[in-house]
Amino acid sequence: MSVQAGEQARGSQRKGVSLRFSQEGIVFLLTMLMFVGFSILLPNFLTSGNVIALMRSVSVLGMLALGMSLVVIGRGVDLTMVSTLVVGVVWAVKMANDGMPFGQALFYGGLLVAGFGMVVGLIVAFAEIPPIFTTLAMAPVIFGIGNPFLFKQDTHNAPQGVTWLNELGFGASFGIPNTILVFAAVALVMHLILRYTRFGRSIYAMGDNPAAARLSGLPVRPITVAQYMMTALVAYLVGIVILGSNSGINSRLAYTTLVYDVLLVVVLGGIGLSGGRGGVRNVIVGTLFVGTLLSGMTILNLSLTAQNFIKSLVMLLALIADTVANPRDEQTSQQGDI
Amino acid sequence: MDTVLELKGATKDFRGVYAIRDIDLKLGRGEVHAILGENGAGKSTLMKSLAGVHQLSAGEIYLDGRPVTFSSPSDALKQGIAMVFQETNLVGSMTVAQNIYLGEEKFLNRLRGLNIRAQTYLLSMNFDVEPTALVSSLGAAQRQMVEVARATHHDAKVIIFDEPTATLTPEEKHHFFGLVKRLKEKGASILFITHALEEALTHSDRLTVLRDGQKVAEGAVSDFTRDTVIQAMVGRGLSDELYGARKGVELPIRTSRSKILSVDNLSMGKVVRNSSFSIYDGQVTGMFGLIGSGRTETMKIVCGALKRNVFHGGEVRLNGKPVRYRVPRPAMRDGIVYVTEDRKLDGFFETMSIRDNIMVGKLAAGSNPASVVSMSQAQDLAEEWTKALDIRAINPSSKVIELSGGNQQKVVIAKSLVQKPRLVVFDEPTRGVDVGSIVEIHTLINKLADEGIAVVLISSYLPEILSLSDRILVARQGQIVEEMSAAEATEQSIMYAAVH
Repeated sequence: MSVQAGEQARGSQRKGVSLRFSQEGIVFLLTMLMFVGFSILLPNFLTSGNVIALMRSVSVLGMLALGMSLVVIGRGVDLTMVSTLVVGVVWAVKMANDGMPFGQALFYGGLLVAGFGMVVGLIVAFAEIPPIFTTLAMAPVIFGIGNPFLFKQDTHNAPQGVTWLNELGFGASFGIPNTILVFAAVALVMHLILRYTRFGRSIYAMGDNPAAARLSGLPVRPITVAQYMMTALVAYLVGIVILGSNSGINSRLAYTTLVYDVLLVVVLGGIGLSGGRGGVRNVIVGTLFVGTLLSGMTILNLSLTAQNFIKSLVMLLALIADTVANPRDEQTSQQGDI
Repeated sequence: MDTVLELKGATKDFRGVYAIRDIDLKLGRGEVHAILGENGAGKSTLMKSLAGVHQLSAGEIYLDGRPVTFSSPSDALKQGIAMVFQETNLVGSMTVAQNIYLGEEKFLNRLRGLNIRAQTYLLSMNFDVEPTALVSSLGAAQRQMVEVARATHHDAKVIIFDEPTATLTPEEKHHFFGLVKRLKEKGASILFITHALEEALTHSDRLTVLRDGQKVAEGAVSDFTRDTVIQAMVGRGLSDELYGARKGVELPIRTSRSKILSVDNLSMGKVVRNSSFSIYDGQVTGMFGLIGSGRTETMKIVCGALKRNVFHGGEVRLNGKPVRYRVPRPAMRDGIVYVTEDRKLDGFFETMSIRDNIMVGKLAAGSNPASVVSMSQAQDLAEEWTKALDIRAINPSSKVIELSGGNQQKVVIAKSLVQKPRLVVFDEPTRGVDVGSIVEIHTLINKLADEGIAVVLISSYLPEILSLSDRILVARQGQIVEEMSAAEATEQSIMYAAVH
């Protein structure tokens, strides 16, 4: 009866816990090894310029992954992040370059982005279409709204004379690049939200068992919508950071595999795609791993195809590890009932 | 009697929990044999053991006098035993013919040949189904014919049905028993599980009654009456001490204070049909019903977990005010909570600790999403409730999944009670729970009612209903058909109302 079902589930659960724990540990260890290895083998790797560049690119990836983790913990996924980021920021920049005050343009961009997030969230929550299909389909829709309707050029330079944007991209406080500080701040805020707010705890409950969350009286649908809106806004913030550190933005970013790198970070760090597990610490570990890997491969001068090949392999391995560690065992849990 | 199938000392346990024990059964050629019993009596386990789904832990099966074992359902089918399961296993997007021969396709298939074979077979059975029709376009009775054709087209000697009529309309039932008759005429023996006494008494030759996994009665239908069957189904000695009949002695029956909930003509699809009843605070209302009675669905509608029909869905009034909940949240905010019958499915959160599980109840009760969760408050709450319900764990940070069934159930109950409900629905609160915890949960239920909370207790176990309830509602085929005071109810009178 249910006793033995519990027994079974307990067995798999224990396995899950230990593996997940070690997954985070293993990934961290691998990162260290890789870092040391690259430092010894590649003469350019440990130069201060490269380390800063590494940290910077890692910050962007890490912040996107923080946003992504918010939906992944709630058993969702958001593949629209990069399209949202590009459309929101490019539109704001274009308006600013057309003469609108930058702050006002950014505000409108934020509204647009929040709207995108809301639409995605509403589709997932009310039409109950699996998030992966919803966001896979919404990504080109969002980009399509951007490209012919809101802007037509690919490259847009950052508006002139906005000092804080320059500071954000190139400045440093206390000897640490501001980009990294922003990453740290986002991580801290995300950590506080996930751990200590009603909203954050509800996301864990939803990701763990949506049916139980609903039955307990949690506002499952509003939370879902809020999740996607927050993720979109995090993506927008990342877009502004990119704008600052590159002095401009290219809308072709939406065509890159960036969103898959983000997913790679989330999964590698040990946030199970089955939801309810992991936190900010996992994202940071995953970010360090992927950042080091990407940076090393770039210095090794591997071709883009070779890099994608390696990344995809790592991603695949991580996904397999994830299914082994965090099985979705609704079926097995019901076996053996009389 | 020419015996086709014989069962000697059939025993099946699931890790030490006996589902059936020492059952003997004889099935004659061309005999229709009904299997009766309460929920959990072991009917399905027995049939599944015969059909190769389960393997017996002990005992023998003889088919035509030879001892046989079945390693799988397809093995049983090869040897001549076919089972038609409760939930149909047809592929909706395929045609009738494709479904009948599913799993036997050759490397190359000509649809025409398949259709002709199917047509011939269906005609020989006198089934009125078009072989080229898509299964998704068929009604329940026709689906069942396809299911039967699939199970029997290679001359099964024994055909087993698991509650074949549960989902059928009266007319479809009529067709079904016509089909049983034709199968019988072709020399097949039929075993069928049913909750409907009349069906068993009218359409079968012999019947067997199971109770708590053991055979309690067997014989020709003519030896039984409705009353003797019911007597056999409920008569019990095992657990009388645990469920001491409450009548009069220790716990006086609580008289109703005021009506908290009234339900009129509640309907949802075919499951709940025009059900009407009331719930009063300060007492335990027991709700009994067999499978298909719609009792869980009825209460889930009240609690917002399911939605009733938009038109002619009936009316639910909470303290006189009409309410219609689309999700459980507003119901919870109005003080109605539902404690699930399947805690693993929608009860607890398995990755979370006891503390966090209980905290979810508290989280859901609040409204401001940005408000901060105080860890010390959560800890206090967890300690308070683990103490109040005597949840045995190393500490409140233990994972719920590591607890015993009884303690898991207590966590689920605590999660609901932190929401300070005025109406609590317990659905099978002691299923898969150890004996010690059963007593504690029962004490808790009584305590809640004494505090003035309206408690609804859904249970398949009559002694549980009788020992706790002040008032008893009996559900049958989607309706509350009988209301009785605990003072006058007996196992027989409840079962009499519940069967049809």
